[in-house]
Amino acid sequence: MRCYIVVNWVGTVVGVNTPLFAYHSARSEKARIARELGPMLRVFLGATVVICLIGGGICLVLGNPLGWVFIGLSALPAMVIEWYENELRELPVVVKGSRIDDVLAANILGLLPVHATPYDVATIIGQVPEGQFFSVRFGIGPLLLQEIASKDSNDMDALWSKALELKKQRGCSDISAGLLIMSLLSLYPGYQQLLAHLQLELEDVQNGIDWYEHIETLIVSSKRFRKTGGLARDWSFGWIPNLSRFGQNISEQVKGGMFSADIASHEDIVGQLMTALSTDGGGVVSLIGHQGVGKSQIVYSLAEKLLDGEAGVPESLRYRQIFMLDAGSLLTAAPGAGELEGLVTTIMSEAYQAKNIIIFLDNAELFFEQGVGSVDLTSALLPILQAARLPMIVALDEQRFLQISQRSSALTNALRRINVKPLNISDTMSVMQNHLVVSEFRQKVTYMYQALAETYRLSERYVHDLEMPGRAVKLLDDAARYAESGLVTAQVVHNTVEQTLDVKVGAVRDDAERDTLLHLEDRIHERMINQVRAVSVVSDALRRARAGVRDQDRPIGTFLFLGPTGVGKTELAKALASVFFGGEDRIIRLDLNEFVRSEDVVRLIADGADDPSSLTARVMKQPFSVILLDEIEKAHPAVLATFLQVLDEGILKDVRNRDVIFKDAIIIATSNAGADRIREQIGRGLAIENFEDQFVDELISSGEFKPEFLNRFDEIVMFTPLKKPELLQVVDLIIAGVNKTLEQQKVSVTVSDEAKQYLVEAGYDPRLGARPMRRVVQRAVENTVAKQLLAGDVEAGGTVAIDLAQVQALVSLKKQADKIINESV
Amino acid sequence: MVYYTVSGYNDDMFLVGILSWWYGSGWAGRLLVIKTRLMQTSDYFSIGILLGTLFAPYRQISAGGVRGSMAAQLRAFGDRLISRIIGAFLRTGLIIFGIVALCVQVIWGAIVMAVWPFVPLFPLCGVILWSIGWVPSWV
Repeated sequence: MRCYIVVNWVGTVVGVNTPLFAYHSARSEKARIARELGPMLRVFLGATVVICLIGGGICLVLGNPLGWVFIGLSALPAMVIEWYENELRELPVVVKGSRIDDVLAANILGLLPVHATPYDVATIIGQVPEGQFFSVRFGIGPLLLQEIASKDSNDMDALWSKALELKKQRGCSDISAGLLIMSLLSLYPGYQQLLAHLQLELEDVQNGIDWYEHIETLIVSSKRFRKTGGLARDWSFGWIPNLSRFGQNISEQVKGGMFSADIASHEDIVGQLMTALSTDGGGVVSLIGHQGVGKSQIVYSLAEKLLDGEAGVPESLRYRQIFMLDAGSLLTAAPGAGELEGLVTTIMSEAYQAKNIIIFLDNAELFFEQGVGSVDLTSALLPILQAARLPMIVALDEQRFLQISQRSSALTNALRRINVKPLNISDTMSVMQNHLVVSEFRQKVTYMYQALAETYRLSERYVHDLEMPGRAVKLLDDAARYAESGLVTAQVVHNTVEQTLDVKVGAVRDDAERDTLLHLEDRIHERMINQVRAVSVVSDALRRARAGVRDQDRPIGTFLFLGPTGVGKTELAKALASVFFGGEDRIIRLDLNEFVRSEDVVRLIADGADDPSSLTARVMKQPFSVILLDEIEKAHPAVLATFLQVLDEGILKDVRNRDVIFKDAIIIATSNAGADRIREQIGRGLAIENFEDQFVDELISSGEFKPEFLNRFDEIVMFTPLKKPELLQVVDLIIAGVNKTLEQQKVSVTVSDEAKQYLVEAGYDPRLGARPMRRVVQRAVENTVAKQLLAGDVEAGGTVAIDLAQVQALVSLKKQADKIINESV
Repeated sequence: MVYYTVSGYNDDMFLVGILSWWYGSGWAGRLLVIKTRLMQTSDYFSIGILLGTLFAPYRQISAGGVRGSMAAQLRAFGDRLISRIIGAFLRTGLIIFGIVALCVQVIWGAIVMAVWPFVPLFPLCGVILWSIGWVPSWV
């Protein structure tokens, strides 16, 4: 490293200057002076000025000329304060400067020691506001930076070079703490892994620099001089008593600034609005877009711009005030239709005569439709809209606009349409960051960057009825309620979604869930016998999902269970719901034998308000669930076609064209198709694995299912009919269930092995599998227990032992069992 | 000769820095501050707008067009005229008030700009006045 040794007049080395950094440059010196002039010293200097002036004045009043000395001396601290406030506080960079000290942020420059090392830089970063911003918002604190920074001053050149390179790349005016953080990270060989621990990438750090710069810009812009029109701005315009009473003056709300969209697409729309409103003395513009796209925000942004006399606003719009009309308060004031029309006409007339008003109808459908909280004022408003002499902005939902167009084309023809599209991720992040400026202050919380990124991701998936950025902002606000120690982290956003929507979105955290997942097969087999492969594929899918290694753009798993009735297909879905999803009520079950007509598709996708039992409504309400599509072979082909997108992408559009997300569900379809063939093949001693593919081909060739439908399942699993030894285990499970029921009575039941064998013989039917056996066993056992309890043969803490004779007596051989079986059919 | 304080900055640099700023960008910056304050005052009193709308009806009272009999139109004309007179009177008052405020600011600004270069000499002036022993008679 080339360096220049700086010595003082007696020859002592006092510093080292390198080609990249001059410790003794004028700017470096000034930065250190600024550092020394801390708040306490400045207060002291200020107090000295005041004391000197007062003391001097008193002396002069008392006729003592010493007062002149005090007054004269007060100039010195006053000069220092003036210097600090006007230069040192925000020390400007050296224009066209190429050395680090020319362009390094002054608060960092002032803290650098003579022989700085990267470690020193890391420490200093933690002491400046931007460094603290990164520490809180990103978790990149001084300790982490010190860990990765070298303590060798020879490494400084590399750090400075990297910082200068990044400055040039990003076109920054100075080297801020954020750029130094990026430089330190970039020079650390394992930075990607390090950032991955924080759920970050280097690009996120860049976004952090932009975020901090944006906040600084907002602060600077809020302090800058604006031409507001002054005291007499509105003297030439009319009185608006009714409009002031029933309308909301948006311009009054935004006059403090900070509402500018600062987003290219929104700025563009604000420009279009100004052009449209300024032509021919006033136009009527409709902002059309889905709820949450930011229509109101655009109008707020416009209101702010109109009040800024230097924002290039056309003369006809300058200082115009935007009033938002509220349908609710109008309805309250004038409940009758005639009164209401009269009131609206009066308000519009006031606004027109005032000559400095723009009317804004937010959720304008409330003014054009009859309903609860809305009123159809088309006849009163249409002439005003058609005349287009009063500037108006009408915000409408896309769907409602189409409905109104159908009803009154004259109304929609009178509107100059501007479409507002949902924002992309980067713009939505900017909107969220803008939103935080106010909401963090109100809610007394701090959001981490990772929380914002996670909010975007999860809101896209789980927040319905709104578009971006509205849906992200909604989740962001909700998350504040779940903040931990005033901090909203990505985990807090997970918790918010999990607690408000009852889904699992984060990776496994608690040991209980981890244990359940690792032993999922065992837990399921506590409830069902055999079907090892089916249990295994379902368990694997869940483990993949909870470990975060699955495809996030599909359902957790999609399975088709094939096999005869009574072999455990539905039972597996129930067991899964109970063991992992938190209860059997987490099953969304559709019996597809009820969907045999093509018209039944509508029932699948009906709006929840009209049909709460529709598939889309139930999934919207409970996205984390097992969806059981029973007897899928009986569904109409149109119904099956509807499921194609669900199985493939985990999305189904409902009748309102909203995306309903199935990505947190396991979809299990069951079918008895080809059950006889399975039994026949098994009867011939063939193992299922040997004829599985052939069997699926047969299902396709026989026309039962289309190949594109079957191909969309992750796994097609064939269930084998249960054999006698397995049925004995089923009997044990059923008896365990009975014992659980009897727990409250403090009584237990034991059944002898012979009796179990008998129950298997009596309860098993090859057509129905194990299903009727449950009823046979329950009746035999429960009836015996009931009789003994009533007879007082067994007391609390006792055991009811059931033997073969008792079972035979109750089930009376095969006859009674057959009766039970037939009831089951 | 270069001295270094414990805190790390050069004492000479302090003097050079403050004086070069005082007589350089500090003085120019002060002019900018005075200019901005004048603009703020001008905006606050809406002088430009008031001049542009000097004879406009005040608050648009009775400013709308009237259809009807000659008498009604004459009455409306009279109302408008009164509204304009009231408006012109109020506006002229505020314009005068604003101009006075601007003048005071201009004078104050000129004094500040004129005194600015002599501020560093104030301690010396104080010592001189003290050594002369002069005290203004009015105090």
